[in-house]
Amino acid sequence: CPVTAGLSMRMLNFNTSPLKNTAAEPVWKVLIYDRFGQDIISPLLAVKELRDMGITLHLLLHSDRDPIPDVPAIYFVMPTEENIDRICQDLRNQLYESYYLNFISAISRSKLEDIASAALSANAVTQVTKVFDQYLNFITLEDDMFILCNQNKELISYHAINKPDIMDTEMEAIMDTIVDSLFCFFVTLGAVPIIRCPRGNAAEMVAVKLDKKLRENLRDARNSLFTGDNMGAGQFSFQRPLFVLADRNLDLATPLHHTWTYQALIHDVLDFHLNRVSMDESVGSEASPSGARPKKKNKKSYDLTAADKFWQKHKGSPFPEVAESVQEELDTYRAQEDEVKRLKSIMGLEGEDEGPISSISMSDNTAKLTSAVSSLPELLEKKRLIDLHTNVATAVLDHIKSRKLDVYFEYEEKLMSKSTLEKSLLDIISDPDAGTPEDKMRLFLIFYITALQPPSETDLDQYKKALLETGCDLSSLNYIKQWKAFTKIAATPSNYGNSGTCMIISHAAARWSQSVVINYLVRKNRVFKVFFFQNLPVTRILDNLMEMKSNPETDDYRYFDPKMLRGSESSTPRNKNPFQEAIVFVVGGGNYIEYQNLVDYTKAKPGKRVLYGCSELFNAGQFIKQLSSLGQK
Amino acid sequence: MAVDITLLFKASVKTVKTRNKAMGVVFDLPKDEIFKKSRPNNGFSLKAKEVISNITKLKDFLLQHRKDYVNAGSLISSDLTRMTDNERDQIDQDAQIFMRTCSEAIKQLRSEAEKRVISTQIKEHRGAVLDLIEMYLKGVCKLYSEQRAIRVKRVFEQENQRLVSEMSNLVDEVRQIEGKVVEISRLQEIFAEKVLMQETEIDSIHQLVVGATENVKEGNEDIREAIQNNAGFRVWILFFLVMCSFSLLFLDWYDS
Repeated sequence: CPVTAGLSMRMLNFNTSPLKNTAAEPVWKVLIYDRFGQDIISPLLAVKELRDMGITLHLLLHSDRDPIPDVPAIYFVMPTEENIDRICQDLRNQLYESYYLNFISAISRSKLEDIASAALSANAVTQVTKVFDQYLNFITLEDDMFILCNQNKELISYHAINKPDIMDTEMEAIMDTIVDSLFCFFVTLGAVPIIRCPRGNAAEMVAVKLDKKLRENLRDARNSLFTGDNMGAGQFSFQRPLFVLADRNLDLATPLHHTWTYQALIHDVLDFHLNRVSMDESVGSEASPSGARPKKKNKKSYDLTAADKFWQKHKGSPFPEVAESVQEELDTYRAQEDEVKRLKSIMGLEGEDEGPISSISMSDNTAKLTSAVSSLPELLEKKRLIDLHTNVATAVLDHIKSRKLDVYFEYEEKLMSKSTLEKSLLDIISDPDAGTPEDKMRLFLIFYITALQPPSETDLDQYKKALLETGCDLSSLNYIKQWKAFTKIAATPSNYGNSGTCMIISHAAARWSQSVVINYLVRKNRVFKVFFFQNLPVTRILDNLMEMKSNPETDDYRYFDPKMLRGSESSTPRNKNPFQEAIVFVVGGGNYIEYQNLVDYTKAKPGKRVLYGCSELFNAGQFIKQLSSLGQK
Repeated sequence: MAVDITLLFKASVKTVKTRNKAMGVVFDLPKDEIFKKSRPNNGFSLKAKEVISNITKLKDFLLQHRKDYVNAGSLISSDLTRMTDNERDQIDQDAQIFMRTCSEAIKQLRSEAEKRVISTQIKEHRGAVLDLIEMYLKGVCKLYSEQRAIRVKRVFEQENQRLVSEMSNLVDEVRQIEGKVVEISRLQEIFAEKVLMQETEIDSIHQLVVGATENVKEGNEDIREAIQNNAGFRVWILFFLVMCSFSLLFLDWYDS
């Protein structure tokens, strides 16, 4: 949320409002964080932005740090035992001039006393200028998307929650972690939500605990975090927001789905992590002479941040649109570049030959030159972004072409909406050109999940044989079988396709012959138009709950209102009006496809705001690995 | 929302103090070490802070005189606050020298920091600090150049104004002349009209005169003829009378 970004800015300015005046005296400071703090800050602020705020050094807490005795230090860490010890050590070693301690989640009294005692022994009490509980124990990736944590995420992964041999203590610990983060989230947001959750799964456990925690905090009048003074910027409108807890198990097909929108594609095929994408730099297409060592590929990483306007505009667009837009941007950039060059040459000619400029007025040129010079940094930045997106889009396109991902996407869309299938599943699985074994496994799992009735034994054996031949690992199928048997809410195809139309117009992938994105687009008739308005299960549930629609799927959901004096077991909501703001949280993991679907849903309803969160973010490959290890148990 | 627990911390410090007193734990405060440790690298930060305060002084100075500086040639300003161009030039010069000195100071600090063999972290930190100072200086320089641009613009504007007023004077004169010329042409038109009218009249008069001359000529001819006729007639009459007289005279002699 912009709330978190704003908070980070405040925190990094010693918890005062950041000064807007750029001609203000620079104040420098160093930032010390642990891995948790790093994960929270890095998706939001790039190194340059940190520098602009006066942060000269940013260091890990548990690294060798030299004393810089004339500089204030801002700490942003979790209040764990090792971190506290290290802070005490720093105090004793007199590393910095003053200390601003910010704890990501609330620090306990005893640990606070530990720091106090270390400060006393080092005679550094006056140096500890401020101590804050930031309640920022979650990672904001976008204005409307957050995940819980990155470090130790295997502890709260889908695998950890759903493994068959889980012990009660483990489950309790997982739930506590999730609830702690969600609590921090709501403290930061400054609002107490109305909680709805399904019955009988992990989501319900989270809801119960969260409700209890919020209720306790509200009752504690002295230390309540939701009183007027603390609400501040997070105030929503008059209404309270709706908090929908969903469990991953209600929809296993979406995480496996092949996708077509830019951000989700990058997450699927490239290494995209905390808003940073890493890829091998293509070293050129010259064939290496035989016998020579292949050139070493460098790994390049790019940050895709809020400052990148192209990214903000197109991260949810279908991929062909993105490619077209990159080309357009490139054209505009080239035009501007040519303009600057022209001005440069005119200015250069001025001394030699009066001819060319006699017809152009001087003042006109000066104005143009001024505007050109002042827009140069903008131009350079634009070029950098265009290059970035060209590289990224090219890498994505390579994957799409080599794996024929458009075929998978189309087929899966048809499976999920129960449209007529043109090719048989077996054909696609046996096709050696189309896709990696993982792609085929994904497709088959979606087929299995969305089928009204499980395929007959003979069919199943046929499929299994074909899959094994291509090298797939079938353990994930075992788990899906179990899951399908357990879930009472059978994932009928009606879950996927009944609330919209799905039209796909496509051209066969075989017609693609270019290897570079920009060349590809020169032939406009290759545009692959995709319109899909279907709501995924999570979106549909949100729609029902937010608009107070009656639906057998959601009527049974539990209702929690932490502000009510007595908790009730009932499912009847007190409030009859549709909600304006909602937060959807998926326990067990989520992905960008769901997020994009929610964004599209929200765009169609002006005035509504939806935030998306999940306990972890995985792409299909990572999810299949978890399913496989679950299937092997 | 972040919760400020500094007071809680201070309370914890008190708690620990009282607890330590109660338990008889005494901390030997390493006072000397503190002073020792805080000495070595203070030079850099002091100098850096000095440069910053200088730049701030420049900024304040510029901002203070900005109003007067920019108010070039405004008719409303009183004589007290008006700045002569000389003063402005002085400010420009001083500001430039100052900025140059500051930038030299920064460069010097940078090279000093490079020379001193210290840890990479401190080096990076100092580099970043110097970058920040440079950016600050750039910001202040921008203030100055904006001011200057406004002034230069003003000078040009004033000249523009002068040219404009000159031109507008010319335009007025030209317009006046134009008016007069228009009037002349109008009058001339009237004259021409009248003259044309008179022409027709004169023509007719001319015709008449010509006719009259003809008539008179003919009249003269007629008269001459008449006179001649008259004279001829008179001669015949005379002849007749003379003949009659002679005939009478003859008759009279015959009879005699």
